[in-house]
Amino acid sequence: MLDALSDDGSNISEADDGQEDVMTPAELIGKLEEAWLNEKFSPELLENKSEMVECVMEQLTHMEANLQRVRKGDVKASVHRMEIDRIRFVLSSYLRSRLQKIEKYFPHVLEKEKSRADGDPSFLSPEEFAFTKEYLTNTETYLKSVALKHMPPNLQTVDMLKAEPCLDSFVFLRVRERQENILVEPETDEQREYVVDLEEGSQHLMRYRTIAPLVSTGAVQLI
Amino acid sequence: MDPSEVEFLAEKEVVKIIPNFSLDKIYLIGGDLGPFNPGMPVEVPVWLALNLKQRQKCRIVQPEWMDVDKLEEIRDLERKEETFTPVPSPYYMELTKLLLNHASDNIPKADEIRTLVKDIWDTRIAKLRLSADSFISQQEAHAKLDNLTLMEINTTRSFLLNSLNCMYKLRSNLQPGSSRGKSQDY
Amino acid sequence: METPSYVPVPPGVGMEDNFFSLDDILLSHERLPSRMECLFPRLGFLEKSSDSRDIQEGTKMEMPLFLAKGLYERKRRVVSVELPKVYKEGWRTVFSADPTVVDLHKMGPYYYGLGSQMLHFDSPENPEIAQAILQCCAEWPPGGAIGSNMLGHFQKLMSVSPCLPLSWMKSNIMTFIGRFRRTMDSSQNAYNEDTSALVERLDYLERALFKAGQSGLNSFQCWERGRASTLTASSLVLNYRKRKITDLQP
Repeated sequence: MLDALSDDGSNISEADDGQEDVMTPAELIGKLEEAWLNEKFSPELLENKSEMVECVMEQLTHMEANLQRVRKGDVKASVHRMEIDRIRFVLSSYLRSRLQKIEKYFPHVLEKEKSRADGDPSFLSPEEFAFTKEYLTNTETYLKSVALKHMPPNLQTVDMLKAEPCLDSFVFLRVRERQENILVEPETDEQREYVVDLEEGSQHLMRYRTIAPLVSTGAVQLI
Repeated sequence: MDPSEVEFLAEKEVVKIIPNFSLDKIYLIGGDLGPFNPGMPVEVPVWLALNLKQRQKCRIVQPEWMDVDKLEEIRDLERKEETFTPVPSPYYMELTKLLLNHASDNIPKADEIRTLVKDIWDTRIAKLRLSADSFISQQEAHAKLDNLTLMEINTTRSFLLNSLNCMYKLRSNLQPGSSRGKSQDY
Repeated sequence: METPSYVPVPPGVGMEDNFFSLDDILLSHERLPSRMECLFPRLGFLEKSSDSRDIQEGTKMEMPLFLAKGLYERKRRVVSVELPKVYKEGWRTVFSADPTVVDLHKMGPYYYGLGSQMLHFDSPENPEIAQAILQCCAEWPPGGAIGSNMLGHFQKLMSVSPCLPLSWMKSNIMTFIGRFRRTMDSSQNAYNEDTSALVERLDYLERALFKAGQSGLNSFQCWERGRASTLTASSLVLNYRKRKITDLQP
């Protein structure tokens, strides 16, 4: 499989590990599906994976270009088309769930983006950033023209920052890499905090906040 | 998550087919398939198997677990045990529905299988509700859910998670000093 | 899969409200019994029962939650807010006996939401209410029909030193838990039937949960019957057709 692709020079690498991992296209699609489910179930917006998205897009365009050359009615081509459709579905569903979260928490997302240190990776892709800013301006203009401009001058601002993701939401997860000593905070005053070990392959229901770092490292998968 | 999206994931599972055509290896983005030779069993993802079946290009071999004796055993164990027993496939419900709806002529005793799987499902969902109730009333902070399948989780997901979040917020009023309980004017 | 064009903003539930939530906006109009602690000049128009120009000190009137919250100050008291009677002793005894029989909708309908908001008005200068609730707590649980595990839980709760908002909020949660099973069972079992009788006695928060449970059940049933695989026209398109072109032109 690697051979088939190395001729067009599309080496797939992931920068967030700090090292250049070469992935097979099959692994790339696996990563996309992981990211899709994580994004679907995490209460907050996760780090953007624009590199991964670009790689997937590249694969799709490459394959589509190849299919252009195939004659109509070819069985193989129809199988390829079906696969492309399936990947496209996951990709758009992934991007859509990001946009939905951005629309829901846009002031918070922008705030987080502003307070990010220079070297840190951005949570938004450049396109998403542009979208968020535009969404904010449009919402503000809308609120202003519909209601706020009719208010007394001292009441013409709205604090929209209140809508922020609740990191204490519960999530379902499956463990990919064994983790020890995960602290479970008590729910009521009478309970004590305790630690659990997350065995590989086991499934759990717990607070997102406790395991949020493990989602971004890929040690657990939200389900 | 919509059940059809869970079904989408289930369609990635691999199933054995016996094709009636010949074709070279297909190099898909997600991996290689084939080669296909008439009468020679070959493994393909369910989405492709169903498509080929609909075009009458293959016969689907039912998965090993999709068998009346095996399922009866699982059903009896599921009824006996209080906890969730291991399921034969993480997508047993979805695969049963997909294969029986589209390839029931390749699967002997299809109706019996359908009833058995439904029995297993119902028993498990009843257990799931019991444990959800005790999770809420004990106000637990962590639960281990081994052997639960995605489709099972999915039927109660929004209800259970919303309830837990509501409880959390009601409870966080108990901590007057916490940032959440801060009074705020608007 | 349907992606609705408008996603309702859920209520904030806790002490903070969600600015864009319709439920929370309606909640902020719930009326609270309150007493004016000083003179409010020229605001007599707010008090419908008298014709005077000012609101006199000591006037008792009902005030919407948002106004009470805005006027209430811990240091300089201008209004004092009373606990609505559903949160008072008499009703609490009823809840402790069996939370599932109470018609929270009639009493609320924002029972939990308003209850949480009432914490804004907690103050040490309200000893009578505190006393009433403390007594109520001490008498709890009378060993009613709550179910054994619930009872154990109540007792655990009571071992913590109770102070006004704490013990009070706990009763709120216990009511929620006590009613949870019923909300769950009814929402997960009622398929394709009229649910209005089931939700009639639920508070708005519980109704939202009921809906969540129903959507889980319904979407699964639809999938099982294979309805998900038949294509239907988007509701947006269907609605669009019903409009006339003249409606669209300003």
